[in-house]
Amino acid sequence: MRRFTLIAVPYLWLLALFLVPFLIVLKISLSDTALAIPPYTPTLDFSGGWSAIKDFFSKLDFENFIFLTEDDLYWKAYLSSLQIAGISTLLTLLVGYPIAYGMVQAPDEWRPTLMMLVILPFWTSFLIRVYSWMGILSNEGFLNQFLLWTGLISEPLIILNTKIAVYIGIVYTYLPFMILPIYAALEKLDISLLEAAEDLGCSRLSAFWLVTIPLSKGGIIAGSFLVFIPALGEFVIPSLLGGSGTLMIGKILWEEFFSNRDWPVASAVAVILLLILIIPIILFQRNEQKAREADQ
Amino acid sequence: MRRFTWFNATSLTLGFAFLYLPMIILVIYSFNASKLVTVWAGFSTKWYGTLLQNQAFLDAAWVTIKVAVISSTIATVLGTMAAYVLVRAGRFAGRTLFSGMIYAPLVMPEVITGLSLLLLFIGIGLDRGIFTIILAHTTFAMCYVSVVVSSRLVSFDKSLEEAALDLGCSAFDAFRLVTLPIIAPAVISGWLLAFTLSLDDLVIASFTAGPSATTLPIKIFSAVRLGVSPEINALSTIMIGLVSIGVISASIISKRAAVAQQRDEQAAARTS
Amino acid sequence: MAQTVFAPWDDPTQRPLIQFKGVTKRFGEFVAIDNLTQDIYEKEFFALLGPSGCGKTTMMRMLAGFENPTEGQILLAGQDMAHVPPNQRAVNMMFQSYALFPHLTVWENIAFGLKRQKMPRHDLDERVDEMLRLTRLSKFAKRKPHQISGGQRQRVALARSLARAPKLLLLDEPLGALDKKLRQDTQFELMDIQEKTGTTFVIVTHDQEEAMTVASRVAVMDEGSIIQVATPANIYEAPNSVYVADFIGDVNIIEGAATRTAEGYDIAWAEGQPPFHAKTPVVLGNGGPAYLAIRPEKISISAEKPDDAGNTVRGRIIDIAYLGNISTYHVEIPGGTMIKAQSANTRRLSRRSFTWEDEVWLSWTDTAGIVLER
Repeated sequence: MRRFTLIAVPYLWLLALFLVPFLIVLKISLSDTALAIPPYTPTLDFSGGWSAIKDFFSKLDFENFIFLTEDDLYWKAYLSSLQIAGISTLLTLLVGYPIAYGMVQAPDEWRPTLMMLVILPFWTSFLIRVYSWMGILSNEGFLNQFLLWTGLISEPLIILNTKIAVYIGIVYTYLPFMILPIYAALEKLDISLLEAAEDLGCSRLSAFWLVTIPLSKGGIIAGSFLVFIPALGEFVIPSLLGGSGTLMIGKILWEEFFSNRDWPVASAVAVILLLILIIPIILFQRNEQKAREADQ
Repeated sequence: MRRFTWFNATSLTLGFAFLYLPMIILVIYSFNASKLVTVWAGFSTKWYGTLLQNQAFLDAAWVTIKVAVISSTIATVLGTMAAYVLVRAGRFAGRTLFSGMIYAPLVMPEVITGLSLLLLFIGIGLDRGIFTIILAHTTFAMCYVSVVVSSRLVSFDKSLEEAALDLGCSAFDAFRLVTLPIIAPAVISGWLLAFTLSLDDLVIASFTAGPSATTLPIKIFSAVRLGVSPEINALSTIMIGLVSIGVISASIISKRAAVAQQRDEQAAARTS
Repeated sequence: MAQTVFAPWDDPTQRPLIQFKGVTKRFGEFVAIDNLTQDIYEKEFFALLGPSGCGKTTMMRMLAGFENPTEGQILLAGQDMAHVPPNQRAVNMMFQSYALFPHLTVWENIAFGLKRQKMPRHDLDERVDEMLRLTRLSKFAKRKPHQISGGQRQRVALARSLARAPKLLLLDEPLGALDKKLRQDTQFELMDIQEKTGTTFVIVTHDQEEAMTVASRVAVMDEGSIIQVATPANIYEAPNSVYVADFIGDVNIIEGAATRTAEGYDIAWAEGQPPFHAKTPVVLGNGGPAYLAIRPEKISISAEKPDDAGNTVRGRIIDIAYLGNISTYHVEIPGGTMIKAQSANTRRLSRRSFTWEDEVWLSWTDTAGIVLER
């Protein structure tokens, strides 16, 4: 009986507040927009009995999805999200790997401090961290002031409200998610493997390419997914740093919902975003599974 | 064989400069006297003054804290239960769906979570306000808590529980007297994580908050959309300060505990 | 015994392959190796034996090039190795953890060092196959390290380090991770492979049995110095110190005062008891205080006093340890000293001749004991 309660309470909670809402999204994505409250039809009315339910299902269609394919705003936004998430994941990897590597090489007594320094931003408000770049990247911002002062440029660079600002924002906010799994993978690396590689004729650099990189592959993949997946549906970064010219699907969804009040289209956008996410999520799960098996 | 080279030192320095400079600049400019945020016009704390007189911000902060405390506490209870179910309950009907529902919210884009919850609340005719934000935050935070707690439970030696049962505990007593004290650090960090996530959340709160309740992130977001503002700089500095104090003291406490444990173990090794 | 004994260390015309010349290695304040001089010859199977922290691993890592001596020189075939990095030494190492690359197959692990030499593809294939045959691993070539057993991994590590045909192979506790039975089989395999390839092997171990089995010479180390270097038989039968006698095998150490006799020494060990006699060519620097060291298997135990033994003493059995092939008796002799005596259980299920509290006679010949300086 106790076991039943133990399972039932969290189970029902998640059913009611995770699965059911999601089914509602799915259902509304198949409905039509209407000038009503709520602003869509049909609405399910159980009091009408079986025929009403049948009637309800017959009115659902894929019209909204067809609309999404017809208006090139949407598929451009999906492609642009994929591109921005992909490029910024790569940039995060390039920035994060040397940091994780440096942390592993650092003296033991530094490690807790370095670790804390990586984790600290994670506890700080995401919104504030994104916001802090607005003052740096703007036309009269610190970066431009600095570059003008050094004489590297003669006119301010336009960075804020471009894709570059979004890349910087994503790299900055998701960097800890890249560093931590790579650090964990590198820390597990047995130093005698590198010694063995040198003993067998490797230079330090070739030992790095032939041993360190392949053996931290699990961490690289995990970190990349941890950046790519949330970046794909990102809303705050493109809306604060990307300006109106940067298309990202999270932003489109938000605007569709709050500005256009087109709930069925917003729901369809959400459903497609999820379908796109399923592939990287499954790949990520596989990678984690493999890592767990390798640990045993 | 480990070599800390110049390359390592440079990448660490540049990396941490990248992570911290933006925040440091933000903190410095929160003390700028000028309204123009990028021009230094002398030291002043006046923006903190205006911030503290801004009733809308104070109200939003109060709502945010209430939501965070309540939702993270419920999420910790539910998340710990869920973790226990995942690790210890064995097989039951719908276990796969259950673990799927625990892990899915972690990777679900916030816009989708927010949208779906909003549609639910409207569908069942629930008035949006503090209560709906709490429900929403509890749901996604409990998943994070259960991941943190279950990773501790997995490494936890099951024979300790069995020993408690063998010595006459009921299953519940065994959990209360043996398991819970041992997994307590994970439960606490789960709570802290849930609390931070709730404090920090903009997107889900925007969807689920009605006109009657505004959280601090919603307030900040609508202010910064229009551009950099010195008041927000001051607010950010306060928040960064609080988090830094929290994280640094937590790491000092855990380090002291580790040192004390090491000393005890050494002392024990000497006397044996 | 073989017709020609392998003993290059006794042949002054032989040039050593490795020479340690006054080598000292310090880590900060800690002295790991203390002014050590030692030669190792070609085709030797040289064992460094000692407890953990005695410096044996440091010696091996200096040979591999992972550490450099603080003072002194290490010569390999007459060449100073000081500034030769590990990847350019004709020395390979078999790591204690094996250090097999987990992302590469058995075949790729063995080929790893050869590829670094840019060996032509055809020769490389041949060499790897040869190594696989030598270590009986041909069937497992395509497997990854985690898909084979501990014993097989050990052989992969050996094959990988031998593939480049090094002048010198270093083995760091090569059998430490194997269970006892497998370890014994593998010891003979190692000796076999060493003989077939003619490579010089230096093995580091803390297991004296292993060192005795495989090595042509054993160096017993303690606190950064070599205490004694000798063949296994000499280390056992003629230890030069109590430390070596005690470290290798089981031994009874009796304290006493030595007085010179015609053929050796008499050891007075307790008041009112006749002294023990020991024939020995060794001359103690100072007469007087000394130790008499006797191996338990050289002491016989009997109910009646034997007539022909050089030394006899009466005692009482305190403890009996039955080990299957042998039994060890702990016998208390006058003065309270405990002596261990062993007898082989040559007959199955025979009635035990002695039991606890029995009064017995211990006896041994004059040549059984070794006199050591105190």
